[in-house]
Amino acid sequence: MSLTRRLIVCLDVQAGRVVKGTGFVGLRDVGDPVELAERYEREGADELVFLDITATHEERATLFELARRTAERLFIPLTIGGGIRTVEDIGLALRAGADKVAVNSAGVRDPSIFTAGAERFGTQCVVASIDAKREGTGWRVYTAGGRTATALDAVAWAREVVARGAGEILLTSIDRDGARDGYDLELTRAIVHAVSVPVIASGGAGNASHVCDAILAGEADAALVAGILHDGVTSIAALKGAMRDATIPVRQVAA
Amino acid sequence: MQITLFDYGAGNLHSLAKALRGEGRTVRLEADPRAALATDVLVLPGVGAFAPAAAALAPARDAMRDALRDGLPCIGICLGMQLMFEASDEGAGEGLGLFSGRVTKIDAPQLPQIGWNTLDDVTDVDLRAAKLETAYYANSYVCRPADSSVVSAWSSHGNDRFPASVRTARTVGVQFHPEKSSAPGVRFIQLFLESL
Repeated sequence: MSLTRRLIVCLDVQAGRVVKGTGFVGLRDVGDPVELAERYEREGADELVFLDITATHEERATLFELARRTAERLFIPLTIGGGIRTVEDIGLALRAGADKVAVNSAGVRDPSIFTAGAERFGTQCVVASIDAKREGTGWRVYTAGGRTATALDAVAWAREVVARGAGEILLTSIDRDGARDGYDLELTRAIVHAVSVPVIASGGAGNASHVCDAILAGEADAALVAGILHDGVTSIAALKGAMRDATIPVRQVAA
Repeated sequence: MQITLFDYGAGNLHSLAKALRGEGRTVRLEADPRAALATDVLVLPGVGAFAPAAAALAPARDAMRDALRDGLPCIGICLGMQLMFEASDEGAGEGLGLFSGRVTKIDAPQLPQIGWNTLDDVTDVDLRAAKLETAYYANSYVCRPADSSVVSAWSSHGNDRFPASVRTARTVGVQFHPEKSSAPGVRFIQLFLESL
């Protein structure tokens, strides 16, 4: 026996509400984060991620308050990200109720945040969030919610964040995000093979076979889903059932 | 019943505090290790690194070990379980030494171990009653007890097999996070408290 593969539900939040868009634009309100979080835990989600997609300084207090309200009612791991700028922010997010903190743009600006965060709080709470877009034969890293191109190659960057202390990688394909035509399996596999920490595949889930592909062909440790659940296209039970049928080890939830 | 979470300054304690609550119980956080001993149940929570946590409990290390040996009920979670041992390869400082043995790195190609792992050879009565079969882990280090008879459940990751829990009459240490292991995890905590 060993680790099961995880199904992680992402809630994009803005001003305390869950929203969902396509390719980082065109947002729609899809519900109350705490209610959705509780519902997804009951249904068998293995983890939750709150990503504050506005990520402004003013929004951060709202995000931390939301983390606090959620943590008091949630008994599965909660990752929060968006607008984390300093190692002090990581500490505040953890104190507020996060179990893990995702760092994206701030890590590109100054990668020492991964090292400082890991030393202070442990490598298992520091998640490097990488947004990558296909370009030629590789993938370029973007920041600021997919708006700003960097000079970084995604595979090399993944190696660097892990060397600096990140304990997990949340890998989002900008090309696939919200498109529901499947994860970027080649990108996922390239990152999984480059690092020794768990990799969460994100961006592109449209149905259960996409999720299974992310694990089996993409070799991801976890698959992140959002819109297809919030819109009622499928359910956690259906996704986990399909994973089980594909002989992927998953956590069973008692009925 | 007074339950005290020893707060070494790192991490989310909200879910754990909520999981400990119940009829006739009060839950408080205490950063002073000596003051934390004035309680009915001591909880050593699970997030942080060994060295700063060992430094935080150093001023009351002997008193805490003696209190636990004299029967003060205690739950140690993840790092909290590791602090019940003598020392850790992760960082400097001394643990409580309640259990003989060191804390060392898991032998696995992928670390940290993050995710839900199965428990096997479970003898712990509360784990069994709670039907906690798959638990959430977030760690790179595990405890190596000199006396394996204290181990009450096991897990495996990579090439390694390690204690998922250790138990004496009134002390339980768990390497996973029951407060993050959904309903069965919370049930385990509740059953342990009810057994006291």
